[in-house]
Amino acid sequence: MTLLRQTYLVLCKDLRLELRRRDSLLTMFFFGTLLLFVFHFSFDLVPERVVEMAPALLWLAFLFTGTLGLAQLFQAERENHCFDALLLSPLDRGALFLAKTGFNLILMVLVEIVVIPLFWILFNMRSWNLLPQVFLVTLLGTVGFCVLGTLMSAITLRARARELLLPLVLFPLMIPVILATIRCMEEVLHAGQIGDAMPWLRLLLGFDVIFMTAGVLIFDWVIES
Amino acid sequence: MRVTADKLAKAYGFLWALRELDLELTPGECVALLGPNGAGKTTLLKLLAGLIPPTSGQILLDGEDFSRGAAALRARVGLLEPAGHLYENLTVTENLAFFTRLYDRNSAARAIDAALAHVGLGRRAGDYVANLSSGMKCRLSIAKWLLLEPELLLLDEPYGVLDGSGVDLLEDFLKDQCAKGGIVVMASHHVSRVLDLCERAIILSQGRLTFNETKRQPWPSFDQAFREFLPHGGA
Repeated sequence: MTLLRQTYLVLCKDLRLELRRRDSLLTMFFFGTLLLFVFHFSFDLVPERVVEMAPALLWLAFLFTGTLGLAQLFQAERENHCFDALLLSPLDRGALFLAKTGFNLILMVLVEIVVIPLFWILFNMRSWNLLPQVFLVTLLGTVGFCVLGTLMSAITLRARARELLLPLVLFPLMIPVILATIRCMEEVLHAGQIGDAMPWLRLLLGFDVIFMTAGVLIFDWVIES
Repeated sequence: MRVTADKLAKAYGFLWALRELDLELTPGECVALLGPNGAGKTTLLKLLAGLIPPTSGQILLDGEDFSRGAAALRARVGLLEPAGHLYENLTVTENLAFFTRLYDRNSAARAIDAALAHVGLGRRAGDYVANLSSGMKCRLSIAKWLLLEPELLLLDEPYGVLDGSGVDLLEDFLKDQCAKGGIVVMASHHVSRVLDLCERAIILSQGRLTFNETKRQPWPSFDQAFREFLPHGGA
């Protein structure tokens, strides 16, 4: 109960700060939509090719926008030595990890709610009925991204060139998540159902569960070493 | 609470900031932590606060190893950063409410209002911390620790940003902490002021504990240590 209560406390504090500053959300939103427009004007795709390209292009946009969000994840704690204030407190480190993961997840989902339909409009995709399944697969991939991203963001917290270092350590580790999510989305867009992509979906779920659990258990060590 | 530092040492790379330090702090004590710049005062405070792990040795709080950092032990230790440890984009009240809930202390609006009134910030309750002066932030930190009730309170150079009434407020707060059985350890270069308040003085020099005595009048051993290790201070 303490873990959940503390998670809720820190998450509410982060959301309140974000509502006031709107730094991360606005940056992520504009960057995400900007990337879609760049893709739209760069590729002259026929509808059949769009279905093949859509998962990769969407995830490219999510990766870059998500990394922007991760770079800002501990910004409030970096100011005024507030990270020390949290370390000094009886706050469970697992709760801090869950709160930061949850916060980043909320930001990314908000961006995705705008970016995915915008992609459908820009590329004249007709399969609007598949959006709920696309959202579901994207959500699972986003959870994996946020879990691993929060861990890596904490590891690089005190690094000198953390903005440069973060994608370098994060992207190689994200390969299973990206691959699984893209394969699942391809299957959904081609067949109209997940069907043959179930092994990839299981991989995605397994990744989310394993890294979420590992994150809660090792976050203490990550931030103190 | 009884605090014991046993053969405490801290190295940053090849540089030893603190070496083989043995220290005992007993309830109700107010201790002045003195020493020139780079003597290891801030390192010792951070070790006692559990913010950094020791390279060797250990800190025991009531016989329990503090370096393992159990949440229940952390809740009993406070570090008063004069103008830090506060969220700039939260209001004064929101900061206090957040930390009191985090520490599972009384977060009722009435308690927060009373603490703010006590430190003279009653009319700034709705202001963002970013809009406060350094002195006001320090007063807010005092209100924060007033509400969080630590048993061991550590202070690093608290006098720099406070005006006269702020200093009186801080000293009354610290006296009250000690009267309630708490321990106060204060690092400062304002030697005469901290010695007025504290019953014991500790001097660090190049990471070593060179002086550790209870105050008395006259105090020739302190005068000698002061001349030797704090050559540029002013008692």
